[in-house]
Amino acid sequence: MSGEPLVSIRGLVKQYPGVLAVDGATFDIPREQIVGLVGKNGAGKSTVIKILAGAVQPDAGEILVDGRPASVHDPRQAEALGFGFMHQELEQFPLMSVAEKVTKGSNLPRHAGVLVSWRSMYEQARTTLADLDPTIDPRRPIDHLSIAQKRIVMIARALLARARLLVLDEPTTSLTDEEIKHLHAVCRKVRERGGTVLYVSHRLDEILSLTDTVIVMRDGQLVTSGPTAQTDRSKLIAAITGTGSGQTAAERRRARGIAGRPTGEEILRVTDVESDVVSKISFDLRAGEVLGIGGLVGAGRTELVRLIYGADPRTAGQVFVAGSAVDTTTPPKALAAGIVLLPEDRRNQGMVLDFNLRENVTLPSLSRFCRKRTPFPDRGRERGAARKMVERLSIRSSGVETPVRHLSGGNQQKVVLAKWLERGAKVFIFDEPTAGIDVEAKEEIYQLVEDLVKQGNGVIFISSEFSEMVAVCHRVIVLQEGRLVGELDGDAITERNIIELCYGHVGAVAA
Amino acid sequence: MPDVVATDEAQRRPPGEEPGAGASAKRTGVPPWQQFIAKYGVLVALVVTIIVFSALKPHVFPTGSNLKAILEQFSPLAIIGFGLTVVLVMGDFDLSVAGMIGLGSAVVVSLMSKHGVNYLLAILIGLLVGVAGGAVNGALVAFAGASSFIITLAMGQVFNGFEYLITKQETIFQGIPNAYTQIATGTFLGLSNQFFIMLGVLAIIYLLLEQSTIGRFMYALGGNQEAARLSGIRVRELRTLGFMIIGVCSVVAGILITSQNDSQQPNSGMPFFLPAFASVFLGSAVLRPGRFNVLGTLVGAFFLEVISFGLTELSLSTSVILLVQGVILAGAVLLSRLGRAAT
Repeated sequence: MSGEPLVSIRGLVKQYPGVLAVDGATFDIPREQIVGLVGKNGAGKSTVIKILAGAVQPDAGEILVDGRPASVHDPRQAEALGFGFMHQELEQFPLMSVAEKVTKGSNLPRHAGVLVSWRSMYEQARTTLADLDPTIDPRRPIDHLSIAQKRIVMIARALLARARLLVLDEPTTSLTDEEIKHLHAVCRKVRERGGTVLYVSHRLDEILSLTDTVIVMRDGQLVTSGPTAQTDRSKLIAAITGTGSGQTAAERRRARGIAGRPTGEEILRVTDVESDVVSKISFDLRAGEVLGIGGLVGAGRTELVRLIYGADPRTAGQVFVAGSAVDTTTPPKALAAGIVLLPEDRRNQGMVLDFNLRENVTLPSLSRFCRKRTPFPDRGRERGAARKMVERLSIRSSGVETPVRHLSGGNQQKVVLAKWLERGAKVFIFDEPTAGIDVEAKEEIYQLVEDLVKQGNGVIFISSEFSEMVAVCHRVIVLQEGRLVGELDGDAITERNIIELCYGHVGAVAA
Repeated sequence: MPDVVATDEAQRRPPGEEPGAGASAKRTGVPPWQQFIAKYGVLVALVVTIIVFSALKPHVFPTGSNLKAILEQFSPLAIIGFGLTVVLVMGDFDLSVAGMIGLGSAVVVSLMSKHGVNYLLAILIGLLVGVAGGAVNGALVAFAGASSFIITLAMGQVFNGFEYLITKQETIFQGIPNAYTQIATGTFLGLSNQFFIMLGVLAIIYLLLEQSTIGRFMYALGGNQEAARLSGIRVRELRTLGFMIIGVCSVVAGILITSQNDSQQPNSGMPFFLPAFASVFLGSAVLRPGRFNVLGTLVGAFFLEVISFGLTELSLSTSVILLVQGVILAGAVLLSRLGRAAT
């Protein structure tokens, strides 16, 4: 029995408009294991998961559960088959209590078959959660929980619904190291109890340390599948990208020829910027420089750059561009001063999903495309500009009139980059530009950052993956609880030093 | 994934798929009948409606004079619909239109009738009242952050109150100059002036929404307000502008209504309220499915007027007409949902 895989996927095909998302994927999910699923954005992982969840219907292929063909036409059937899901984007009713969330979908305990028995509902939720995270109070509203706790609540919910296959899609995004450790422990617990976990992640370190089996997908197909113990980081990267091998961050840094701070003119200076989250931060940026802002989630990195861009109101602080004081209290003013911000959350802040690629790319610079002395943009010229961007950033799409909602995450991110490149600026602020995108696209974004500074611009680069800050930044400042706690320059920029500053006592400045 | 060359050629034919029949249905995963209904449903329904009325009343409905009357009557409705399209594009509601129609026309008519003001000047002042009312709506919604749904409902009541203050809730029919009545009742090339005024407003709003940068920004902020704001779009100013436009459109419609009636009657905007919204929603299921658009609104308003004329000519009562209009609005909302799914 245990030799037979829990779920087998056979020849799955899914075609979206202009994109073949899954192209005959065939692989097994062995039972009672933690199974890693990796691949670039657009490799087809998310689509396979959506098919398992019954959210998307495949054009061809079949799914076997316990060796028998199973149909998954809707989420209810998926649940009946014992599939439980924790998706990347958490949809929640913010005021619903933890207990309601956990017990929803299973049979709610009732009085006289009609009235919900709240006490036994809380009890049920408590017993399920006790194993996973006893600190979560079932009576609290979901909204009051941390992201990590919300994810655990969703796992508890799946377990209570007797899920045999638990699918976790990028479960550790935006979590702290502690929270990640805890989540991993929860996964192991699920395995001990005879459950199977399908674990989708871009973070190879956790795939290597956590999973028993790893499955690599590329271009909608299976590349390789086997015991995690028999592979390593560079083999995985090679399988994911289809080429080369992995380099360490320091190697990449050297390969790029990034040394100390460039000697260009000051292009941006920020003095005593303050809000209720950020306290009196000052720094400067030179032409030709990439400045990293490090810190843990919640340290105030995003808040700081939003204040500089005028996206949120600040209580104090002054911004200077190329030596002169500028007003950046609203985004249009910041844009006029030569500052652009690529926001952290591309889907909700970066683009208009209903718009096509062309309309998104030209949005901040639309007046430039107007026919002479009219307020009417010339769509032909817009198309030309958008095509150039598609080529320059190698955006994969079926044309510039494709709605951006049909693009993969990495390509959507490139569209957001394209719109700011088209607009042009002196200072580019990139907040998590590589979050959730694949290795190849990341490389392209690093290259773009390098090109921008070579042209004499300044770049501010925020990333939760410190290794990539090591690879691309000339200088890194680190925030902790809204305060600037340290600055690293040249060879002092290492992952270890950044992490030490992130966790160090406020006031202690590393060399 | 095979190498997708990012050209328009690739868009026409996705990789690994033969061109030919059924390809488009397979690509989007939406059944072809659903796509057809989403795109052409309203137009088909319009044609069917016209055929049915023509068959039932062959000597009354399919005649030139009937068409002229429809074109005349649907013009004020369409004008309100155009204005509403602008605010709905940005995700706002304006429930104060009926109040503004009444207030605007009351200002214009009472200035002429009670104060002897020249009709052109009176119209100008009326339009300014529309701008001001819209600016107040806009300020409350976009700057003070009130929900447009609730605040415009309240403001509609305020406009209504001002109207009654001016007219004392009495019908004004004396002292309206002939020149003013001529605006709506006069003809040009055999068609009512109202029709041409409507075309003028249509042209302006079409250029604004579909061709200008402002329109693009309006659609952008309707699609994702935060992304629009971070792209440097002046969100608050644009939303306020939208309310000013619907304010002016309401007053224009009010002028046509009072000019046509040769009098100002209390609360004359109310009968246009639901049909105007129905026109816009119906229109969002036409031409660009799932998207509010001004040409669609034109079709929607025409459709509603055809129904209202047809039913009246069949000697059906107002209650039936209202009922049918309500059902059509509900149907239009469903159709536009279908349209969103199909694109």
